[in-house]
Amino acid sequence: MGNRVAICAMAQVKNEPNVWYQRFQGMLLDCLEPILQQTGVTYDTDKGIRNIVTCSDDVFDARTISDNGMTDVVGAHFRGEEKTAQDGLNGLGYAMACILSGHDDVVLFMGHCKESQTESRNMSTNLAYDPFFCRPVGMDFLNVNAFQARAYMEKAGVTDEHLAEVVVRSRENAAMNPFARESGKVTKEDVLNSPFLADPIRELHAYPVTDWAVGMLLCCEERVKEFTDNPVWITGFGNCMDRYFVGDRDLTSNFSLKKACEKAYGMAGIKDPKSDVDVIELSDAYAHQLPMLAEGIGLAGEGQGGKWIESGGPAKANVNLSGGMLNGNPIMLGGVARAVEGYIQLRGEAGDRQVDGAKRALAHGTTGGACQHQTVLILEK
Amino acid sequence: MSEKFGVKVEDIFNTMEERFRPEGAEGVDASFGYDISGRGRWKLTVKDGSMKIEQTDDLGGCAAVIQADADTFVGVNIGKVDGTAAFTSGKLSVDGDVGAFGTTAKLFKRFTPPKKELTVGEYVLDMFGTLEARFQTGAAEGLDITIGYDIGGEEGGQWTARIKDGKCTVTEELVPSPSLTMIMKAKDWVELMLGKVDAVNLLTTGRAKVEGDMNLATKLGELFAKYTAPGEEEEEEQELLVLKKIISVNQKFATGPVMGKYLNGLKEKKILANKCRECGRMQVPPREVCALCRIRCDEFVEVGPKGNVRLLDTAYYASPDPLTGETRETPYGLIYILLDGCSGQEVFAHFLRDDQLDRIEMGWNEKKGTIVRPVWAEERTGKVADIKYFEIDE
Repeated sequence: MGNRVAICAMAQVKNEPNVWYQRFQGMLLDCLEPILQQTGVTYDTDKGIRNIVTCSDDVFDARTISDNGMTDVVGAHFRGEEKTAQDGLNGLGYAMACILSGHDDVVLFMGHCKESQTESRNMSTNLAYDPFFCRPVGMDFLNVNAFQARAYMEKAGVTDEHLAEVVVRSRENAAMNPFARESGKVTKEDVLNSPFLADPIRELHAYPVTDWAVGMLLCCEERVKEFTDNPVWITGFGNCMDRYFVGDRDLTSNFSLKKACEKAYGMAGIKDPKSDVDVIELSDAYAHQLPMLAEGIGLAGEGQGGKWIESGGPAKANVNLSGGMLNGNPIMLGGVARAVEGYIQLRGEAGDRQVDGAKRALAHGTTGGACQHQTVLILEK
Repeated sequence: MSEKFGVKVEDIFNTMEERFRPEGAEGVDASFGYDISGRGRWKLTVKDGSMKIEQTDDLGGCAAVIQADADTFVGVNIGKVDGTAAFTSGKLSVDGDVGAFGTTAKLFKRFTPPKKELTVGEYVLDMFGTLEARFQTGAAEGLDITIGYDIGGEEGGQWTARIKDGKCTVTEELVPSPSLTMIMKAKDWVELMLGKVDAVNLLTTGRAKVEGDMNLATKLGELFAKYTAPGEEEEEEQELLVLKKIISVNQKFATGPVMGKYLNGLKEKKILANKCRECGRMQVPPREVCALCRIRCDEFVEVGPKGNVRLLDTAYYASPDPLTGETRETPYGLIYILLDGCSGQEVFAHFLRDDQLDRIEMGWNEKKGTIVRPVWAEERTGKVADIKYFEIDE
């Protein structure tokens, strides 16, 4: 048995602010059909898809056991189906494990999230916290990330100007990505003048409400030729859960990200991400997280995030050429969107934003307030 | 028997072997006698780390003989009576070597009485028997009231609690027109007192009735301490709290083209199914795909509007309508209808007219159930409630 897992196909709908015209079931179907078409894979329980990993969130779907809402659409009836209720990048890691263990040859991954369905994203993420203390003091992912932003900006010399640059670049890159949310280009002044949501986070520092769905077909090394001539290999995966209580953590230490990287780098044989990785995609839901996460994965020096931005670090290392999460991907799928960009780049299908000769990509995803849980996936050509 | 602790003298002796601790018998080589007045005599022999107990009148050769009445003996053994106090007060005496008798304390594990489940009748008697004792004087200031309890069924009875001048007197009768009367069956009363069912449930399902001053009903919890069954040790009160929260985040749900077409059909008094072009089965309400054939379902067919009932269930606890937040009146009938044009399991769920619950026959296999037809709302906006309910087609 080979020790690599291939992504054989990927299909997505466009990231949009409000897919008012479709249920998420329809969005998923629009992803599934091209995958079946591209690969010719069937639901034969010997040779085809007999296990499906889905990713969705109960609160955003307003449905407990949210996967029940679309198991019919993704073809999951009468076979295995498991749901990831964390960033979907963990679903890809799980699918990888299913294949590496020999349990499955082929796994279908399907993820969706319609953030527009809820009237308030903050009220929904408020429910991630305990009812006794954190919820009553109004914690949600926005204001907990504002804690992190405050602490990190102090630590790494990151200014409001730096953050404006990060946002401007995100929107410019996204303009070259046909599946990116059409959030529109902005100027530094626009960003610097945008209102505070939770000081120091301004409106334009925060990823906008987005609806999206995506699917991928994964398969074992031996059978990859049945489905594609241009596979992308998963060669590394790691994740780590940090402490739950915000007060228990050093919010800027990237503790769980460093642990996730150790695992993924070790598996993929990466010594130095600066030289060993061609495309880097970070889940920067909030602008300050781009330099902070760059420190965490070893791209920028510890506490050097401000200087890293000034010296053009993001562009030099091909970070977030997709536009990043900052331009708009829904919660739960930020990391999958990063893997999608890695997949497209490694297949040489990125058009105007293509990195020539890209051989290895890093995709990062995070779940929870202030990057509590971190996931890193390494993709190779 | 009827020792006041609910444990028989025999229970103590019969469980000695299983409670015997060989490690406590080390170095003990003696016999001990038990003379329990009115119940009999027992002889315990301990030797080489083993024991023997026998009921016998011959207590010869015992190092010591204990004498006590049954209640004292049982009480000491189950830890309800202090042994030293019983000894000094003379309720318990020892003939012979008192010191040797002391060694028996280490021979056995403590006897724990098995939990006894009371019958409904026993519970009822105990609940009213303890009502005066559970009265909370502090909460009754200025009250001059009578509370009637009309507890039905064979194991029930009638009681009145008169509360006046900060005192509560319970009599086994129902006085004329009490301030408040509670009427329910003995079984329900017991479940209510034990906290297995709540009062609102009993009232809404008609299992309990309250007549008279309803405000008083809400104060009963303050007037009487919570009932605890006999033998259940009162646990020390801990600082436990339960917080009540309503979790509410407004949502909006897009229908998409499939559900949208169906809901729009309702506006025109049409019930649309979608038909799988591969296997031919009908789905109502329509779905994006046929999950069996794994293909999109895009052929729409009008079905019904009449159909026959396959299943009826009567709902006594209604979930609120997710779109309006309103709770339906109960009981109501939810029916599975096989609409004309559908077959097999292609059933459709809706409400049944309230007054026809007991007139429905269910169908199965080839047998048809009662034929029903939809009753449409005057104003239809593209939602499930555009059909108010189904009624018998007559």
